[in-house]
Amino acid sequence: MCPALNIHPSGDALALPRVTCPNHPDAILVEDYRAGDMICPECGLVVGDRVIDVGSEWRTFSNEKALKDPSRVGDAQNPLLNGGDLTTMISKGTGAASFDEFGNSKYQNRRTMSSSDRAMLNAFKEISTMADRINLPRNIIDRTNNLFKQVYEQKSLKGRANDAIASACLYIACRQEGVPRTFKEICAVSRISKKEIGRCFKLILKALETSVDLITTGDFMSRFCSNLGLPKQVQMAATFIARKAVELDLVPGRSPISVAAAAIYMASQASAEKKTQKEIGDIAGVADVTIRQSYRLIYPRAAELFPPDFKFDTPVDKLPQL
Amino acid sequence: MDESALERYFDDSIADDSSFILGEGLGIQSHAHPTQGSTPSLSMKAGSGTEPGDDLDLSFLPDDLSSQVEPGRHNMADSQTAALNVSQDSGIFTDFNSQDSTAADSQQGAPPSVPVPSPFCPMTPMTPMTPMTPVTERSGIIPQLQNIVSTVNLGCPLDLKFIALQARNAEYNPKRFAAVIMRIREPRTTALIFSSGKMVCTGAKSEEQSRLAARKYARVVQKLGFPARFLDFKIQNMVASCDVCFPIRLEGLVLTHQQFSSYEPELFPGLIYRMVKPRIVLLIFVSGKVVLTVVC
Repeated sequence: MCPALNIHPSGDALALPRVTCPNHPDAILVEDYRAGDMICPECGLVVGDRVIDVGSEWRTFSNEKALKDPSRVGDAQNPLLNGGDLTTMISKGTGAASFDEFGNSKYQNRRTMSSSDRAMLNAFKEISTMADRINLPRNIIDRTNNLFKQVYEQKSLKGRANDAIASACLYIACRQEGVPRTFKEICAVSRISKKEIGRCFKLILKALETSVDLITTGDFMSRFCSNLGLPKQVQMAATFIARKAVELDLVPGRSPISVAAAAIYMASQASAEKKTQKEIGDIAGVADVTIRQSYRLIYPRAAELFPPDFKFDTPVDKLPQL
Repeated sequence: MDESALERYFDDSIADDSSFILGEGLGIQSHAHPTQGSTPSLSMKAGSGTEPGDDLDLSFLPDDLSSQVEPGRHNMADSQTAALNVSQDSGIFTDFNSQDSTAADSQQGAPPSVPVPSPFCPMTPMTPMTPMTPVTERSGIIPQLQNIVSTVNLGCPLDLKFIALQARNAEYNPKRFAAVIMRIREPRTTALIFSSGKMVCTGAKSEEQSRLAARKYARVVQKLGFPARFLDFKIQNMVASCDVCFPIRLEGLVLTHQQFSSYEPELFPGLIYRMVKPRIVLLIFVSGKVVLTVVC
């Protein structure tokens, strides 16, 4: 049948027996997929046959009718997060023999696939749903999952609702990736209250012994301005105004979100695209009185706050004074 | 019997006061005075007490402090600073102790010169909690105590309904909360009295006032007929505030002291600084106001 395989257990870490041609031990074997052979290129000897093909068995296309997906391998594993679960489960039967006389399926046990990780899988699903609502990219979702896994394994926050921990992890992941979302934005996609998310956030930072950078006004400009439909000039002007206001310490103690909202208001009122305080308040999640307060603080020095190359539609002295 | 025992104890505590030396490390469990044999379970620091034979008529309890104010006053200042020594964390530098004693020494000079105030406020919260600065840079900023929470065990089960009906200034709403809420006017405090006999006293502006108020509540309960005692008086929490008189840049502080500070403007406008030694939590605000909290 096949010639004697010279199997040399190699000295490396894997220690898999490597097949070589008996006449040419140094020759690199060529694989023939169709026949399942490994052929020596020097002499043409078929060294190994019945080689297992590790390519995929069936290709599934999304436009085909997916009545029966013949693929038997299932989804890709996520070994980082699930702990390498290799259990199998018995699926619902298809033939008539799988039902007993009352119409119930004979084999019912589809539960308890991995009870220890069930909560974690649920949380991952929840994280994925929340992130999807605000269109967060894959890297943030992965980071959130990793954070959740670390917190879950540590068990120091075991008593807290998993959804609260998941929301807080999402908030931290956004911060760590340099694209912070406000607590109110996370609240909007989660069922947990802002207070609880805030509490869990502080507990997680303590448990994981990390810290996050302070939020700045510039982090939110692009999102708020594009949600309001403001052109790039106005967005750049608002960013400049907010940064200048913080540098000149005109708004001590004000939340960066409020300062950003006031800066957007000032910039939009000076341009052709005027937005009301209420509109900006809705997008930013701040009350319009808050915008008014911060605006009153930056109004006196409005002339120095605008960037030098800004095209005024409404001059500085005609800006609304609230 | 209990009343006379309490009176006797109070006498003994006053005698104990004069023996305290400033700067000495004191334990909360004071040296058991020999004549305390009758009430060995009372483990109290010395504080002001009543004169023997003084008529503490509880029907107008709040106003009954006049007689013991003056004699106890000097001792109170003493024991106050002594109390502060104790209530500080044990991890105190030695120069802190000496600072405290110098500060307290200067304080001692103060009380005799202060004109005798109205009998209704024996204690002004001026005793300093000296900040932990080296001797060369004393800022002169003194936090003022705002609130002290303490607990004491009266040692006997109580009938809250009876107390609520008999005592003045008591409210009891079992459906809302399972304790009697009693208030006295002097020192202005509120107490939560539970049916197990345990009591929480809040609102006092100094440790001595807190103990005094707790004793007054205990006396009220005792006069109503329960065999109340005064066990395990412990101060649980102290809150003080001060003003540094200049604006503070919280962003800079959180950058340099990242491992101790937590500043989330979205959640709370102040910076929460958890100091490790002494274990104090400070809320620092942009205006320069600082609130200090310590759990004892």
